[in-house]
Amino acid sequence: MALELLLLLMVVWMLPIVTPSATFSRSSTWIHAGFQDMARLDALALRATSIGSSSAMRRHHHRRHSGGNKSEERHRDDDAELPLLLRQLPPSASICKQLRGLSPGQEKLCGLSQDHMPWVARGARSAIHECQHQFQHRRWNCSTTTTTTTTTPLADDSELAESKKNQVAAIFGPVLESGSRETAFVHAIGAAGLVYTLARACRDGQLSSCGCSRGSRPKDLNREWIWGGCGDNLEYGYKFAQSFIDVREREQRHKRRSHEQGRSLVNLHNNEAGRRAVIKRSKVTCKCHGVSGSCSLITCWQQLASFREIGDYLLDKYDGATEVKVNRRGRLSIKDPRYSLPTANDLVYLDDSPNYCFANSSLGSLGTRGRTCNRTSTGIDGCNLLCCGRGYNTQKSIISERCDCKFHWCCEVQCSTCNKSLDVYTCK
Amino acid sequence: MQGTIIENLSGKKLSVLVALLVVAQIVSFLIGGLVAPPPSNSQNMLGTACRDKLNVNGTPPGLDDWMYFRPPGKCVHVDTHEMSETIIPLVYVFQMPTPRNGKFLDYSRWQHSLIGVLQIEVMYHNHIVVPPITKLTIDARLAYRNKGDPEDEWKHYASSIVERNLECTIDNAREEYNYNCSTLSLFELGSVFHDYYLLNIRLPNDPLKKTNQDLGHITDLCVTVINQNGGFTKVWVSLKTVSFPITLLVLCWYWRRIHMLSRSPALLEYMLLVLGCALSLLNMPLEYLTLLFDMPYMLLLEDIRQGIFYATLLSFWLVFAGEHLMVQDGDQKTSLKGYWRHLSAVGVGCLSLLFFDMCERGVQLRNPFYSIWVTNIGAKLALSFIILAGVSAGSYLLFLTYMIYKVFTNISIKRAALPSMSSARRLHYEGVIYRFKFLMVATLLCASLTVVGFILGQVAEGQWKWDQDIELEMTSAFFTGVYGMWNIYTIALLCLYAPSHKQWPVEPSENSVSEEIEFSRLPTEPNEMLSLTAFSRKTAID
Repeated sequence: MALELLLLLMVVWMLPIVTPSATFSRSSTWIHAGFQDMARLDALALRATSIGSSSAMRRHHHRRHSGGNKSEERHRDDDAELPLLLRQLPPSASICKQLRGLSPGQEKLCGLSQDHMPWVARGARSAIHECQHQFQHRRWNCSTTTTTTTTTPLADDSELAESKKNQVAAIFGPVLESGSRETAFVHAIGAAGLVYTLARACRDGQLSSCGCSRGSRPKDLNREWIWGGCGDNLEYGYKFAQSFIDVREREQRHKRRSHEQGRSLVNLHNNEAGRRAVIKRSKVTCKCHGVSGSCSLITCWQQLASFREIGDYLLDKYDGATEVKVNRRGRLSIKDPRYSLPTANDLVYLDDSPNYCFANSSLGSLGTRGRTCNRTSTGIDGCNLLCCGRGYNTQKSIISERCDCKFHWCCEVQCSTCNKSLDVYTCK
Repeated sequence: MQGTIIENLSGKKLSVLVALLVVAQIVSFLIGGLVAPPPSNSQNMLGTACRDKLNVNGTPPGLDDWMYFRPPGKCVHVDTHEMSETIIPLVYVFQMPTPRNGKFLDYSRWQHSLIGVLQIEVMYHNHIVVPPITKLTIDARLAYRNKGDPEDEWKHYASSIVERNLECTIDNAREEYNYNCSTLSLFELGSVFHDYYLLNIRLPNDPLKKTNQDLGHITDLCVTVINQNGGFTKVWVSLKTVSFPITLLVLCWYWRRIHMLSRSPALLEYMLLVLGCALSLLNMPLEYLTLLFDMPYMLLLEDIRQGIFYATLLSFWLVFAGEHLMVQDGDQKTSLKGYWRHLSAVGVGCLSLLFFDMCERGVQLRNPFYSIWVTNIGAKLALSFIILAGVSAGSYLLFLTYMIYKVFTNISIKRAALPSMSSARRLHYEGVIYRFKFLMVATLLCASLTVVGFILGQVAEGQWKWDQDIELEMTSAFFTGVYGMWNIYTIALLCLYAPSHKQWPVEPSENSVSEEIEFSRLPTEPNEMLSLTAFSRKTAID
């Protein structure tokens, strides 16, 4: 494992990129796919794939935080919309033209595996959602530019953005144009989201084209299957995410030793770190089934952790990210040699983060004005740090909370309500 | 046991034979490593939650009403990540096998066995209290369909309402983290006779009977199905097909040799014969029949056949060590009765394992969802069977080591006395010692290779490998290697420990007149060296 890590590190770090010519806007990423209209995507994917049910593909909307009624409504909207869409849609190849933010290479890959695209979009969406959860108490709160205020409940951001899907030119704004820590995190969580969603989709049996063989498409699938060639879902997700996400960086040609090239290398590294985070957090579960149930025969498989766990893991990596620079040979090296070399699981960044205290549209910073803070905390979510010393407003409010709940399968919760009076602090 | 082939075989012939056996061993190892795929494969499936169509009185639908999602139309999906205001009746649907590379796969009869493991993903919410151990009641139903059947025609295979103990812990109690829940064994099919299987799982929620009242927020149900790889079965059965006639031939040859003796066979010779028969039973390629008939009892049968072989092998070692003690008291022929204490250890151990197997796999023939470990009494019973087997294995090992220790002390005593013996007696003892040492070395080698291979296999399997550069399939190689090894071991024993026809060079010696007399007393047995045994007995009495 250690050797493998080292090798991968070398490959990622020493990728020599020679001629300069960027072909598309840097500020857009494939994560934009997370802001597409899902119903439309599903319908498109339906045409592209032979197996799989339409309604099945919509199962994985991550609407955990949205209110029950609202999402139910949306669900029905989708259903009503679908047959109409199917009739109106242009030939299936255009699904890739309609996805925004894809690079030329990604468009090509999209054309090859169109049924994956709803899952790509879903992966991107859960990544954005998770990013916003992780950064809700930080100065930069993973805000997307389509939302104008930072005080709205964060969970609604993606819903809001979804409705304004025509304005998704640059979701995260200029923040991602620099090689900052935040960019590193977004790349990593994006890659992780895609691996996670694909691995889940494979397990569901809904994404019928998950790989069976380790090699390329097997000639005789049935024989391959009898001979045990049906691969691991996580491995498949990892490999697809690798080819799909990294192609964006690899197809660009930057001047050697330029800052652009450095960013490309850093992005590649962070993408890999994100993909590995999913594998790293997954658990291996085994079952003994030998003679008389003994462990002479044992089979193991990977079990995914919850995406929250992966997000927490990557946030740790964000906090411990290493600053790097492009050296004379066009490779990455650590800026401060006192720090230890980052592994393939660690995040790296190129530039210092901008000051997120004040709104600055050219930097993509929204400022921390109006954000709620924690008065007693001395950490980054404390009012002192979050408000950048500007002070805070205090507001008294009574919040009713659910407590002492009992869960009834399936999915009803019986709780008592506890009222709590609370002071809400917002930054000036 | 008297003069055997191994004592009379020249060093050259023996080395050629041993080299041949080693080559056969390497071949059997490489067949597993290079040709066969890993022994088993797993498919991890996420349950598709569908809205259940309950009867008017709220009970789940009948056994002929199946919920499936491929082809679509029947299932109305429900998102279980959300919490709603009302209770939605749910049924989790699993369709096996899952499609791959855009194609529907189907199970092959070569795939031999199917084991289902249930994993429940419970999400942590700080306002929901989940006890660490909950009794989970599962209404599980399994249906099958074959190729060519209409796509909605699922036929009932098995169904049961079973209970499982769900143990969930959480180290890092944070919102939306998953609990670490124990895996629950769900079902075990001894044969994969049909092409497609469908599993419908319901978690009946009944406040009156207090079923499933303490569950946490279950987000997903995962079933991992483990099937034996068809390719592995093919390699395994071909190995059996090749080794079965060979064992039979060797066994016949050995039987003929024993028949040609003018005396009645010794105990050890009978033991070898039984060992050969047990091996033939193990080698019989009965697996071919599963391609034609539905034989869910195949797993049990396989366990029993292996159990018989290993029980015979263990008893053989005991008897072998006992027969080489070289303390012959009197003329009476040794019989199995003399070993009852030692053999009862083997018997009790094997029988308790058999009972355990019958309780688990035997009942599973009737109800594939049955598990002995769920009820308190069942778990205690199973555990006591296993403990009993462990205790008898321990006492067996004690008996065996004690006997081997005694043999070695006797050998060193006899060694010291060797130069003063007559040449015939010396030859006899040297033969006995050689025979014993040869078997000891061979057995120790085989046993240690098995243990080392087992440990290596566990280590290789325990670590999840991401780079699949190594083409050698270690687990399969271990299985075929061990199988080939005990085959070769038994065949070698049958060949080398068969009675010899060669006459020993008997030098007349001047200093032992009494021995001459003894010789003349047994004139009719010139070949089998029985006279030599008589000598040794006499000296023992002296």
